[in-house]
Amino acid sequence: MMAAAADLESSLELSLTGSGALPGGLPPARSRIFKIIVIGDSNVGKTCLTYRFCAGRFPQRTEATIGVDFRERAVTIDGERIKIQLWDTAGQERFRKSMVQHYYRNVHAVVFVYDMTNIASFHSLPSWIEECKQHLLANDIPRILVGNKCDLRSAIQVPTDLAQKFADTHSMPLFETSAKNPNDNDHVEAIFMTLAHKLKSHKPLMLSQPPDHDEIRIKPEPKPAMTCWC
Amino acid sequence: MARWSPPRNGGGGHDFDFKKKRKVEEIYQALNSDPIDVAALRRMAISEGGLLMDEIRCKVWPKLLSVNTDDLPPLPGKELREDNKDYQQVLLDVRRSLRRFPPGMPDDQREGLQEELIDIILHVLKRNPQLHYYQGYHDIVVTFLLVVGDRLATALVEKLSTHHLRDFMDPTMDNTKHILNYLMPIIDQVNPEVHDFMQSAEVGTIFALSWLITWFGHVLSDFRHVVRLYDFFLACHPLMPIYFAAVIVLHRQQEVLDCECDMASVHHLLSQIPQDLPYESLISKAGDLFVQFPPSKLAREAAQQQAERTAASTFKDFELASVQQRPDTVLRQRFGEQPRGEERTKSILTKPRTNRFVKLAVMGLTVALGAAALAVVKSALEWAPKFELQIFP
Ligand SMILES: Nc1nc2c(ncn2[C@@H]2O[C@H](COP(=O)(O)OP(=O)(O)OP(=O)(O)O)[C@@H](O)[C@H]2O)c(=O)[nH]1
Ligand SMILES: [Mg+2]
Repeated sequence: MMAAAADLESSLELSLTGSGALPGGLPPARSRIFKIIVIGDSNVGKTCLTYRFCAGRFPQRTEATIGVDFRERAVTIDGERIKIQLWDTAGQERFRKSMVQHYYRNVHAVVFVYDMTNIASFHSLPSWIEECKQHLLANDIPRILVGNKCDLRSAIQVPTDLAQKFADTHSMPLFETSAKNPNDNDHVEAIFMTLAHKLKSHKPLMLSQPPDHDEIRIKPEPKPAMTCWC
Repeated sequence: MARWSPPRNGGGGHDFDFKKKRKVEEIYQALNSDPIDVAALRRMAISEGGLLMDEIRCKVWPKLLSVNTDDLPPLPGKELREDNKDYQQVLLDVRRSLRRFPPGMPDDQREGLQEELIDIILHVLKRNPQLHYYQGYHDIVVTFLLVVGDRLATALVEKLSTHHLRDFMDPTMDNTKHILNYLMPIIDQVNPEVHDFMQSAEVGTIFALSWLITWFGHVLSDFRHVVRLYDFFLACHPLMPIYFAAVIVLHRQQEVLDCECDMASVHHLLSQIPQDLPYESLISKAGDLFVQFPPSKLAREAAQQQAERTAASTFKDFELASVQQRPDTVLRQRFGEQPRGEERTKSILTKPRTNRFVKLAVMGLTVALGAAALAVVKSALEWAPKFELQIFP
């Protein structure tokens, strides 16, 4: 058998290492760090989205994520250097239960991802949200909902209004995007940057919001009924 | 029984030096001996260079797993895909597994192999409803497919899945987590400083998850390294991959200690496995560690869980079963025919696990193969006393 010599160019990890240290950054210890966990079903594009944000392009190929992968990128917001750490998790259900918990600790924000061309991945969201609630101590950490693969127009299964309704029910902003679309260069970037801005405007240390108008919602809500979307 | 002879030009490499040539001869000798000298094959699979060539692997891997190559089950039909709960996930994972195939391979050939890969996985799952697919299983199966072809791969993978990989294929990953819990105690035994550093970084052990459950197939890009490790793991105790994981961490101890002491930095560092690891010396170190700190010693430190269902414990049954199900049942038949011979054997086996055997092993093997081989000898003695006679003929 011929050796499958690593095609280094397409190796996710190597190119990420390169992009990890952006030039001109302050020593890492100085920057504030925002930890964001990215969750959702297998194949919705979590790896592609995080890669796109951290490396600036759609990866040529991805592989199934086993366990948890880590990517980071340094950004500047209002003159402050901030490190955004993305924890890209495995989508297969068996990994969530016992493996991923560890990574929910101390996260500052959660990104839920579904695949706009796969209604099942949308239907899984309530269980992801539920799971997230169980692992997170704070109830008020910022969460956003991302519908991915909007470039596959003819294959869309999750209509925007449906997704919007769901997002509203859970008080999350909704973004429909594509990790792939080359014409839409800044969109994925904008999503994560929006989140980073939101985090920055939180209290610097804990990054947790004092209870505000959302207070009523902090009580555990009844599970959203699946039927309302079907 | 068919006699195999070594390939003429040893796989065509010009660097096929004298040492390798001799090893090839020894391997064929073990294969041709009657009964087949499985213990010697295990030693060859562990010692420097492993089994050297895929041609040899095709013959030896089945022996290490005690799979009878004369009686392979028929390949499945397409109906497998119809109502299989794992089909979708398998499909998604196999489609994305392009990196596992040799870079120069034409697309249509690769696509054919990907179809075979799906079939093998579904076939094994269907025949063993107690097994559950996990992302990463496909990385293991593809290695077998590429080395031995679909028919034999199906048989080997099935055996492996019900033994070495059994824990990973539970409905939940609790047992897998339990096995990962061995990692830190091993590191602690060798370098407490690294251990403490990692503990205070709270890095956890998930960085090693894909190493463990894919036998490093997911993270190493050079296929030669992958198969070399598979030689090693197939010849050893099912917990050996976790010792190897520990050895990799320890090999990078300075980098670890120089790292920022937080979860992200350490996880990031460790999960990027260097591609130029000194595999042979790491294998030998893993063997050493296994002998020095066998799982039984570490068990208390790894979270207390009943060990009954772990692959580690089924290994014993497996080894014993191997003896009984050996394709070449010659040995047993001979025992059956010659009760006196059997009695004589028994007396050797029951009473004196004489030092002579062990000493021979220590002296002979450490000199010839490095201490890694000790692990296997020790394993063989511990788990399959019936092998004793074959190990030291
Ligand atoms: N057309 C299109 N394809 C995409 C997009 N994002 C991801 N993909 C494809 O979707 C597949 C899955 O992407 P991944 O990023 O590996 O999915 P994942 O969510 O990380 O999956 P797991 O690691 O299994 O949990 C890949 O084949 C990608 O090429 C997108 O925006 N548009
Ligand atoms: Mg992924």
